[in-house]
Amino acid sequence: MHRRTRLSLRSSTINDKENEQELASPRKRRSQLPVSEKSAEQEEEEYVSSPKKATRKPGRPRLSRVEEPEDGSPGKGTPELVGKLPEREKEYDELVGYVENVLSTDGSGSLYISGPPGTGKTATLQRILNHPSFENALKPVYINCTSIKSVGSIYKKIAEELALKVAGTTEKQYQGAIEAHLERKHKTIMLVLDEIDQLASSKQTILYSIFEWPARPTARLILIGIANALDLTDRLLARLQARCELKPYLIQFLPYTKQQIVAILKACLAQTDSLSRFPEAALGLLAAKVASTSGDIRRALFIARRLVETAKKEDRKTGSTIPTVVSMGQVMAVLKQVYGASQSLSNDLEEGFPLQQKILICSLMLMLKHGKNKDITVGKLYDVYKTICTRRNIQAVDQTEFSSLCTLVETRGIVRLQGKKEPRMHRVCLQWDEEEVTSALNDKQLIASILSDVSCLGK
Amino acid sequence: TQPAVGTPKRNIQLSNIIEECSNGRRVSRLLELSPKKLQPLPEEEPKTPKRSIRSSSVGTTRPSSASKGTPKSANKMKLIREGAIKPNIHSRDAPVQGEGNELALARERLHVSATPSSLPCREKEYEEIYNFLEGKIFDGCGGCMYISGVPGTGKTATTTAVLRALKHLSEEDEIPRFEFVDINGMRLTEPRQAYVHIYRQLTGKTLAWEQAYNLLNKRFTTKAPRRVTTVLLVDELDILCNKRQDVVYNILNWPTMPTAQLIVVTIANTMDLPERLLMGKISSRLGLTRLTFQPYNFRQLQEIVMARLAGMSAFNSDAVQLVARKVAAVSGDARRALDICRRATELADDQARKTSQSVTVSMIHVQQALTEMITSAKVKTIRSCSRMEQLFLQAVTAEVTRTGIEECNFLGVYSQFEALAAFSGIIVPNPGRAMAICSRLAASRLLICECGSSDIYQKILLNISTDDVHFALQASKLL
Repeated sequence: MHRRTRLSLRSSTINDKENEQELASPRKRRSQLPVSEKSAEQEEEEYVSSPKKATRKPGRPRLSRVEEPEDGSPGKGTPELVGKLPEREKEYDELVGYVENVLSTDGSGSLYISGPPGTGKTATLQRILNHPSFENALKPVYINCTSIKSVGSIYKKIAEELALKVAGTTEKQYQGAIEAHLERKHKTIMLVLDEIDQLASSKQTILYSIFEWPARPTARLILIGIANALDLTDRLLARLQARCELKPYLIQFLPYTKQQIVAILKACLAQTDSLSRFPEAALGLLAAKVASTSGDIRRALFIARRLVETAKKEDRKTGSTIPTVVSMGQVMAVLKQVYGASQSLSNDLEEGFPLQQKILICSLMLMLKHGKNKDITVGKLYDVYKTICTRRNIQAVDQTEFSSLCTLVETRGIVRLQGKKEPRMHRVCLQWDEEEVTSALNDKQLIASILSDVSCLGK
Repeated sequence: TQPAVGTPKRNIQLSNIIEECSNGRRVSRLLELSPKKLQPLPEEEPKTPKRSIRSSSVGTTRPSSASKGTPKSANKMKLIREGAIKPNIHSRDAPVQGEGNELALARERLHVSATPSSLPCREKEYEEIYNFLEGKIFDGCGGCMYISGVPGTGKTATTTAVLRALKHLSEEDEIPRFEFVDINGMRLTEPRQAYVHIYRQLTGKTLAWEQAYNLLNKRFTTKAPRRVTTVLLVDELDILCNKRQDVVYNILNWPTMPTAQLIVVTIANTMDLPERLLMGKISSRLGLTRLTFQPYNFRQLQEIVMARLAGMSAFNSDAVQLVARKVAAVSGDARRALDICRRATELADDQARKTSQSVTVSMIHVQQALTEMITSAKVKTIRSCSRMEQLFLQAVTAEVTRTGIEECNFLGVYSQFEALAAFSGIIVPNPGRAMAICSRLAASRLLICECGSSDIYQKILLNISTDDVHFALQASKLL
């Protein structure tokens, strides 16, 4: 894939030059010369130093600036990592290589970067945008697509970022202005569209037109789209497959593995001098848990931060000079609190679960277990609930109250109401499995007695 | 008398402006138009249209501040948008004299809006929110928190109490200074209006949402060494979620910037909202600081009510316990308990007035209030229906039991109706009449009828359980 794109790039640039020679006015040609010379020089320079630069240079000098004056936790928000990204060197090098390649051929290219949330896509891109060797060669444009008003106003935003003069205020005019700008002589533009899935519409005209810009003969544009979906370009932009030169080059950001998370956390903690607080095993446990569930670095950093905060609080309380070490037990406790949502629920629920809601859930379970029809509406559930209540000599609530009870149970996520208009006609679906509910209700006696009472179902 | 007429109107206009700025730009056009007309005047400077309007149209009467007189509407709107005029309500000449009665005092204290200075039974949650916010303010970094819980469990009250305490501390220089902004999803006509409200609370100016967003984005993404931390409280988060979820994304994305120093506290009812409703990238940004407010149990409810009535003998403690137990069994909503107590004091007050001797609120009053609140109005409605309507309802239930399906059509019901009427010796109304009966019952929501097709094939659903119908009709001796 990589090969092909490059080839296509080369062919497009050849086209480029031919076209230019045919079409370009003398003035244009004159102006072109010094620019290309200059960029060629720069690229040479880059080629000599780039491998080292890519790995080393952007990292170190930033470190000192990024570091927070205070020790301890403040260094641990996600953004502080922008200066230096451990464990994303490979992707970074690949991206730098790609951009350099495009610059050297003086052409254009499109990229699509995908990966689950919290894998460092935007951070890597920010680092590329700040890359010192690209500063003169590129005009960086970074747009977060959630910030635009509607899908169509992306053109306006791009035009504003490029500081173009536009004749009118319609979408079309902005688009025309950008396209005219691409025709003219310009520095290579690096257009980064973050959260590009926001631009999806029914006909995808805008996405297509944007992805077609790099294939324009005179355009010199590196288009980079970022989103979560792996197959967004295939799914939404199927027509790009037809022409090889339009097809974006794909880069994937895989979720972080355990080792990577450990390395990142270590780098982070070393930066703020609190590495001594964490024993190796605790870090390993934390990383293993996060990596096994999502591989989202935000979560790992968050948990680490929380642990350091509690440790610092401990310090303040005891007043000792030796920093408190995070214990395995604490890590376990935080992980359990964070990940075992329903388990922790049951602990809190013991006292707080209202009786009527318990009966409601029990009657739902009874209907699911022994009833013939699994299609349960609020009305049907109410009938069963009422018979159960009268059997047990409990005052039943009336129907309007009952439907509000159902919504209260819904906020806990135990059931879901699928709505038609009438509250009585809402369908009730149990979202948890039975064991989970039983442990949450924490009232075996009541559940057992209700579940055995099959006669409540029939007429 | 002038301000009395003018002020409520002003209040309404303010909200209108925010609408119009976002949608139609009607106001700004209005503002632009009038200077254009006046621009040809030679001696006026074009850059100060405000002055030009006034000197030409208003002339001599020139209001210096908002309180005196009323400025021209366009000017007034401009002043409102700039935050120069504050909305105010006409006040009474003198405060209303309350009765010195103990019951009246109790009623006042039991009102939901009278938030007590300390919240009983929420110490643990208070501590947790306090620690989170204090730590973040000290560190000067951003973060998010998600608070959930069923309605009436003290989420907003606790959070605002924490913020009040922190504000107090920051005024005494114990902790760094911070700014506090709160928005409520229900108070916005559209999710994007959130930007307008945030910006207005930060600077006092009202702008269109796009501008407000751009300025906020600039504020939070650029470095400013003297910036203080901003605490943003977002109530009713689920209302802010539209299809694109861009507002929620932006609000939760700002705290991740190192320059923003923004702490976002979000409140909603649903416990699993981040997983259920929000996109993956948003719930990743929301983080894992979650706090759930459990519904109050009866002891806690009792404590809450007793704390409000501290030092009063107006309430019988058994009565309070009954209220607490009843409410805790259903929802654990503190508002509900307070409302029932208030209603009970009103009932006791009535009795005191009738018998003209002092009465404490006892079990009887609470029982009465409870039946008033929990009573099923539907049975009463059935009982007060006309005979034909009752018969028709009976026919519907008969049809439901006959077919076994909840949904039945008018034709089947009508044949049952005919049979029942013949059985009890009544002349059967023709189908047109029966349809009128049916639509009357549907209007009172005893039946659900398919709207649109009002022919004999229309579907009829019973909106109450069949037992209720039998129960109601047994008493009226129809069966």
